[in-house]
This record gives sequence, structure tokens and C-alpha cells, in this order.
Amino acid sequence: MDVALRDVHFKRGGRFVLDVPELRFASGRTTALLGPNGSGKSSLLRLVAALDRPGVGAVTIGGERIEAGRPIRERVAVALQQAVFVAGSVRSNLDLGLRLRGVAGHERARRIGEVAGACGIAHLLGRNAALLSGGERQRANLARALCLRAPVTLLDEPLSGLDGPAREQLLDDLPGLLRAFAATTIVVTHDRREALRLGDDVVVLMAGRVRAAGPRAAVFGQPPDAETAAFLGYTLLQGEGGTLAVAPGALTAGPGEVCFGMSVDEVVDLGVGREARGTIGGVRAAVSLPESLAVDAGTLLVSAPASAVRRF
Amino acid sequence: MDAVWDGLREALRLIFHGDAELRDIAMRTVVVSGSATLLAMAAGVPAGYALARSRFPGRTVVLSLVNTGMGVPPIVVGLIVWLMLVRSGPFGSLELIYTKRAMVIAQFVIAAPLVMGFTAAAVQALPRELPDMLATLGAGRLRTLWLLAREAQLGVLAAVMAGFGAVISEVGASMVVGGNLANQTRVLTTAISTETSRGETASAIALGLILLAMMFAVNFVLTLAQQRRAR
Repeated sequence: MDVALRDVHFKRGGRFVLDVPELRFASGRTTALLGPNGSGKSSLLRLVAALDRPGVGAVTIGGERIEAGRPIRERVAVALQQAVFVAGSVRSNLDLGLRLRGVAGHERARRIGEVAGACGIAHLLGRNAALLSGGERQRANLARALCLRAPVTLLDEPLSGLDGPAREQLLDDLPGLLRAFAATTIVVTHDRREALRLGDDVVVLMAGRVRAAGPRAAVFGQPPDAETAAFLGYTLLQGEGGTLAVAPGALTAGPGEVCFGMSVDEVVDLGVGREARGTIGGVRAAVSLPESLAVDAGTLLVSAPASAVRRF
Repeated sequence: MDAVWDGLREALRLIFHGDAELRDIAMRTVVVSGSATLLAMAAGVPAGYALARSRFPGRTVVLSLVNTGMGVPPIVVGLIVWLMLVRSGPFGSLELIYTKRAMVIAQFVIAAPLVMGFTAAAVQALPRELPDMLATLGAGRLRTLWLLAREAQLGVLAAVMAGFGAVISEVGASMVVGGNLANQTRVLTTAISTETSRGETASAIALGLILLAMMFAVNFVLTLAQQRRAR
């Protein structure tokens, strides 16, 4: 079931939030909705979840406008960024949404067992939801949405509040969980690495407007402008005839197709290799160094393949 | 000290021998304060909820008025209600002054801001995202209201306890609008006042003990419900 926005213009408290002439989230795919804080990602998600109504334009799910209200809302499962629970056990919280949607008792128990097991919280089902740790809360929040088996699943920053191993573990688990229990999925994130790991497609939203949308490789490989490129991790350099954007990780020491002179400030021993840090045309940059290359403070020739350099 | 022991002995005698007048006063107290508390719940809980959840110009002023109402002395409430209900007042034609109904009205005015204020505080203490979460799970508007009220149950029960405690223990308003008429509007607090002024210490202590026992019984039941929820 696809999700589409057409001519959506959304304001909150008189302030412009979103302006989306046309955007489609393809059926059966996971789309990472990527943007910096305050770009309108969560607002867009709230429109799809029917928590807010666009002042102008239409949001449709499976071709039907969400203005239809609750029946449409029941086609959507949402895990909000803040994992909040009603008083009671984890099981009762997972059960609540299923009961509200009229799922029969035996089916509720089956789904809860299945999803809780897959999410790694089966041992927490009897625990008071208020006593969960940060990582457990996020997993329970996710499981509550996945239990619903809705045609459209919306996840707002599912890794927020997590760091270190808990974050990496959930990031590893999420693609499999979404394949198993979700269909069309929109994942809001401000982290491009999460977007790369989770999204089949990526939509880049900045200042309330869609800057890029499409398959992951296309969006990351061909940013439409310098600002989007910078947000996607590109290093922006002033070259002849304009701005050059070098893809993240594409700069290497030594000659190549597109060369730059890097003023090295320091060489850092990373334990598993070395990195030269400095500036290229006044812009900070870092380049991994091969073991054999001796570098001191001074100028270092660095390069990138032409395919990894965009000109604006 | 002897007077106290005499009072306690007399209290136990009156209580265990089922003194008819004492029983009537106790029952009247339950009816008047119970009715006022129930009315305050019926009006105060939804109003407190609405106040907590809604945003409108002047909301802070309304909240401040409610909070002020929580601390208005009962005697002042009694005076205001008396001015409304006295024969020459705007509602004098209803002939409610010096009746149990007048006492219920006065006690309602005392309890309602307490119930409303505590309910508003309890609902405001809920996570801001909870209504959205419930809506996304599929709860309609009414179901969301019900689930939120259930989540705020600890605070709402505290609100009811505060309201009941305030009205069952007040003297001033009941005295002014009820007149403390024997066999008609005399309740435990006004009876204690009367017996004390007459020098009938034993009766006053007996009435005081009954009042304390009633307050404890009601609060014990409410606390049981509250703490069961808290587990």
C-alpha cells in the first residue's frame, strides 16, 4: 500500500513547516526520511499518521485520503520517537493496540509472542513497562508497532536515546524485523548512516522541502545541490568553475583522477591505521594513510575518483 | 485529663449503645458530604481534564482562579452561598437556605476547585506524547479520554480524597448556610462545635471520634484503590 503526498502545504502556529508538491513512498519498500533537526520529518510522519491534518493538499494511503479518519489510521502502525507506555506490563501494552483494533484473543497472543521473540523482548513481557531500560523501551515501542502488522509502518527515530552496542544491535536487527513484520515502511532519521542501513529508498528533507528522493544509491550518489551534498557527508571544496563535492570516504592519499593539495595539520595513529587531518582549500578534511606512506606536516597530494566528485 | 477520659468512656458508650441522635448526625454528615463530593467529582474531574488538555486564551487565569479556589476559607464560601440563598438574595425564592441542600451546595463549592485542580495537575503530569500514542494505536476520541483518565487515576483519587477531606471537616460553611438546626442540618462538625460550647466534652469527643473514624474509613477505601493501581 503506497503513501503519497500531493500539494501539501503545512503550517503550525502560523509557521511554515512543510511544502511538498509531490512525494510518493513506494508500496512494500522501506524509505528513510532523512533530514537535519527541524527539517519537518516528524511533521510529515504525523500527517501520514493522521495525527495532524495538512492545511492545504492531500495525504493518501493506498489512494485514499487520510481525512477519512480512524479507518485510515488503522492501516498505519506508528512507533513515536518518545517510547511512552500505559501503566501495566509490556504484554498489556503490546496487547492494547491489538485490542483497540479488534484483533481476536488467540491471534493477539500469537502475534505478541512472535514479535516479542523476534524483537528480543520475550523475557520482558511480564515486566512493568515503566521499569524498562532505554534500549528495552525502544524495542518494546518497536514491537508494539510491528504487532499491528499494518500495511504502513511509521518509525520516528527508532534508535533515539540509544548509544553504543545497544544502538548497533538494534540497527543490525531492524532490517530483518521490517522484512518480517512490516510492509511499506517510513523511517525518520537524522543520521545518514542509519538511512543507508535501513532505507531501500531515501527522501532528503531540508527546511520543509524535499531536496532528493529515490533509490538509496541514486540519492547518495547524485545529490542535487551543494547543501544536500554537505548534509549527506560530502566534503565541499572550491575548485575551478565552482564547488566540488567529494563523496564521503572517497578521498585517498596519492595521485588519482581528481587531485587536491591537502595541508596536513597532524597525523593521527588510530591503532588500526593512520589518518592525515588538515585542510583542502581551507575546508577541513581527513584522509586514511597507507602504511608505506611517510607523511609529516606539510602538503599532501590527495585524490578522488571522478565518479565520486560532483560539481555544482 | 479526667475530662478526656470521661469523654472517651462516654464516646464509647454512645457509639456502642447506638445513640439515635448520634446516628442521625453521622448519617446526615455522610449524606451531605458524600453528595457534595460526588457532585464535585462529576463536575471537577471532566473540567480538570479539559483544563489540563486544552489551550485557550486566558487559560492561565482560569488555572489561577481554580488554584485560588482550592484555598478559599470555608467560612467565606459559606458567606457567599448564604448571600445567594438567603430569602432576599438572588436565589432566595428557591427556599434552600438552612437546608441540607444548601449545605451540599456550599460543600460542593469548597470541593470542586480541589478536585478540578488536582485532576488538572494529574493529567498534566502524564507524558505529553500519550494521547498521540493512544490515537495511533487506534483509540477513538472517547476511548483516548477514558484511557488517559485511567492513567491519571492515582492523581484523580488523590483529588477525590482531598475534596472529601475538605468538606467533611469544614464547620464554617455548614454552620452559616445550614444553621446547625437540631434534627435537620446538624452534622458532626457543627455538633462538635455546639457540644463544646455547651461544655459537653464527652459528647464532643464522641462526635470527634466518629468523624475521624468515618474519614479514615473512606480514605482507607480510596487509598486501597489508589495503591492497587500504583503496583
